[in-house]
Amino acid sequence: MNTLIQPAPVAVRTEPRDSWASVFALARFESRRLLLSIPVLVAFAVHLAWIVWHTLDSYDGFPALQDADRDTQSPPMLVGLAVLLTVNLAVLRSRRRDTDRHFDVLVVTTWRRSAAHVLSVVPAALLTAVCVGVQFGWEALKPGAVGHGSPGELLVGPLTVLLFGTLGVLLARLLKSAFVGPLLVVFFLFFVVLGVAPGDTESGTRWLNPVVGESSSETLPSDLLGRPAAWHALYLLGLGLTAAVLAVLAGGGRRVRTLYAALGGAMALTLVGAIAQSGGEPASLTAAREKATVDPEQTCVQRGRSTYCAYPEWEPRVGTWAQVVDEVSDLAGGTAHGQRLLVRQRVEARYGLSGDGALQPSGTAHEVTVGTRWGGPRVPEFSSAVAAVLVAGNEQAGSELCDGRIVTVMWLALGWQDQPMDALRKVRLDDSVSGSAIVLQPTDPLSMSAAQTDVVRTLLTRPRGEATARVKEHWSELTAPGLTTARAAELLGVKGITEKDGCQE
Amino acid sequence: MTTPRRLSNVPELLLPLWRTLPWRALGAAAALGLLVAGASRLPAGFSPWLALNALRAAALAFALGLAFLLDDPARHTTATVPTPRPVRQALRLALVAPFAALWWTAAVLLVPAEVRPPVGAVTLEAATVCALALAGAAAAIRRTDEPEPGVGVGAGLLTVAVLAPLLWPDRWELFVTVGDPEWADAHERWGVVLTVALVGCAVWAREPVRRLRVRSPLT
Amino acid sequence: MTSTVSASGLSLHYGGTRALDDVSLRLTPGVTGLLGPNGAGKTTLLRVLATAVPAQRGRFTVLGHDPGSTRGRQEVRRRLGYLPQTPGFHPDFTAFEFVDYVAILKEINNRAARHREVRRVLDEVDLGDVRGKRVKKLSGGMRQRVALAAALVGDPGFMVLDEPTVGLDPEQRMRFRELIARAGEGRTVLLSTHQTEDVAMLCHRVLVMAGGRIHFDGTPAELTARAAGRVWSSAERAPDAKAGWRTGAGTFRNVGDPPPGAELLDPTLEDGYLLTLDGHGLAVTA
Repeated sequence: MNTLIQPAPVAVRTEPRDSWASVFALARFESRRLLLSIPVLVAFAVHLAWIVWHTLDSYDGFPALQDADRDTQSPPMLVGLAVLLTVNLAVLRSRRRDTDRHFDVLVVTTWRRSAAHVLSVVPAALLTAVCVGVQFGWEALKPGAVGHGSPGELLVGPLTVLLFGTLGVLLARLLKSAFVGPLLVVFFLFFVVLGVAPGDTESGTRWLNPVVGESSSETLPSDLLGRPAAWHALYLLGLGLTAAVLAVLAGGGRRVRTLYAALGGAMALTLVGAIAQSGGEPASLTAAREKATVDPEQTCVQRGRSTYCAYPEWEPRVGTWAQVVDEVSDLAGGTAHGQRLLVRQRVEARYGLSGDGALQPSGTAHEVTVGTRWGGPRVPEFSSAVAAVLVAGNEQAGSELCDGRIVTVMWLALGWQDQPMDALRKVRLDDSVSGSAIVLQPTDPLSMSAAQTDVVRTLLTRPRGEATARVKEHWSELTAPGLTTARAAELLGVKGITEKDGCQE
Repeated sequence: MTTPRRLSNVPELLLPLWRTLPWRALGAAAALGLLVAGASRLPAGFSPWLALNALRAAALAFALGLAFLLDDPARHTTATVPTPRPVRQALRLALVAPFAALWWTAAVLLVPAEVRPPVGAVTLEAATVCALALAGAAAAIRRTDEPEPGVGVGAGLLTVAVLAPLLWPDRWELFVTVGDPEWADAHERWGVVLTVALVGCAVWAREPVRRLRVRSPLT
Repeated sequence: MTSTVSASGLSLHYGGTRALDDVSLRLTPGVTGLLGPNGAGKTTLLRVLATAVPAQRGRFTVLGHDPGSTRGRQEVRRRLGYLPQTPGFHPDFTAFEFVDYVAILKEINNRAARHREVRRVLDEVDLGDVRGKRVKKLSGGMRQRVALAAALVGDPGFMVLDEPTVGLDPEQRMRFRELIARAGEGRTVLLSTHQTEDVAMLCHRVLVMAGGRIHFDGTPAELTARAAGRVWSSAERAPDAKAGWRTGAGTFRNVGDPPPGAELLDPTLEDGYLLTLDGHGLAVTA
């Protein structure tokens, strides 16, 4: 037996076969390298970590899906930049390592290799789509989720990755130096991610950016958003395809006729998307926003003694509102205990998403306003609005309260909560539990004096039954106009309060 | 054989070394930096926050160019010449330094005075990111056999630059905005990072005479 | 003959691989060949002796200088010419400019003298006619000669050449052999190669390396003699041969332990090399 010379393994013969099959094989090879490269791995790790960190307590557990879909857009830009850098270097690898001379004579021609590089970006975009799907699915599965997401908005993340990746290939074919990739990332980082786009933020040109944010945190019914999400997705897709076809053309495909047809198609898509998305807001949308603000079409349902009117998308949330109303009513005494309320959902939609509008308190008796957001501080805010209406009769009067009745209102608003001190902190603008502060409400805010705060804090630390009994016992006096804070404290058994009237502060 | 005086070949070396510098990368980086800084002159105007970040982005762009400074395709051929590596690397840096200073002055002046951040502090930040790029390049040369590690160093620097503002602990805030009460403290920290980077440059520029002995397992 | 380079106990490990394992050697003026399979540690030994990487253990001296200190290494480098396995160039330099650049780095400061020296070595490697051409326009063989010129410049006393004849055509290789032979006159040259003919034709001594160790140290004739009586011819493939191949004449040439009465052939250096490797249980893939 030969020990020095071992038999060589059998060679694999190359055979004529479908050359697109080899393009896909090469694309698979390149995409595997792309997905396992350090920048892309780091970017996906950061993206996933961000998703977990963000979605764990986003929207306090009560997301409106027409807002949550937009949250999926910015982080994929990071993935896109990593893909841009890596795919750019991958295209230039052959040149840097001087293997062009070998590869240029291979069966798979240069333009097919460019096509394979373009295709190698697709799995990264699909993986981004999975990440986006996970994030959005998580939000949608939260028990408090309402509203509708838009597929157009959800596509922006993956399409951005696709666009950045194809741009990486295109620029590698145009500028054949390895330092172009990193510099491009800085360029995109500054001009796209930081949002330094030329043009007015109000004008249609802002839609030329891949990711278009909004300055308002208002939650509107999904048909009032006025974001041309589907057109924008079409625009991004067209842009990505244009870059892809140009990359193949620049990468040795100038003689391939069908590419020119593809380029025409891709540019047409881009143009259609670009023009349609910059059309501005149609008059019908302005009218619909006006109507939704001033005279909304709502469905009203009866729960317990009270009636709840909500925009159709928020109907599932009526139950949680009713719970709050029932809890507050239970703490109230006198006629307020059995008072029928009308809870009406309102939103200021006339400014769209370009600015926040404040709601005016309602003058109608026993009508309480509830906003479109919920969870976290919104619960004690609504609770205090309900309490103010029960005490003062209507929202307008409730928002003008400043005397000792504030104590009654805040006790009703917070007394039923599991963590009343925590709720007190949340409902106050400066997150304090002592001193004077503004108390937020769905409409105009209330203000609490330092003494009122002291009384409420003392009440909240006492056993609930004892405080409830005292409030009910002195209900008519505690809700009488002109009640001083000192008197309210006395009635409720809180000592050491000398302040005459919170209104003088 | 007469022993030449130490470093007596420096004057002769300057011209060929000048020709080996990665001028295209540096030029592209400088141009992008000026473009970013110059964007602050657009009619829409920049806020002071954006102007600060424009200068930061410009500095990052230039640092990416500097990541290629120590690339030397002839590295293996000149691996064992008597002119020490730290001298060769220092000369490269010295040749590029006046160009860098001029470029930075232009970038700072491009930002309108009313939104321009404090020049000393941003210059410190810019110097730090450049020193980090050089330290990375020196480390790559020292730790690998790669003659042209610039691309990898640039990609690494970029990854760090994108992640650092996201992940850097708030306790040691670095990326402050103008007017932040932490501004002065943050720039002391920038000074520390700069010092560390410069020490890294100096340490990694040296060629080891001895390799650290690897403890062999007891047999 | 007094040794110009002597090393003892050189060791260098990369992770778990022993690139150099307790190597000791002495080199004398003339060309010494270094043979060994891929991964034997040849390049590592050359890089250590050329002071491109330090060894983890052991010491060596070159022309009386110990490179274990910065000053000593400087002195060694002043007397050293090194042709790496994959030489690199500044492609925009002309051949003259590139060798001149290396000469400056080798501290030849007088410009006129240096230019004379650069012209001399370029003539020596037969590139005098193309010295004004950019390196990127030169053929592979010419580039290899530019690298050799860069190693030769400054008349070094010790030359380390790592596979200088790889990728050259037969004529270029002949010319290279001439050059190396000339370089070996009065200098110490250590030449690593896969070409046993190079060694047979050029070297007064040969080292065989495998697995980071030196397994043979002697003259080429001594290496050839190791195969005396162990090479035979047969009509069929001999099952007991360590190595065997069909020659152009149609018979098999076998190396190993011949059966009784076999028709013995004259051994070559390559036979001796193969049997030396075999003695250490090292296989070579055909």
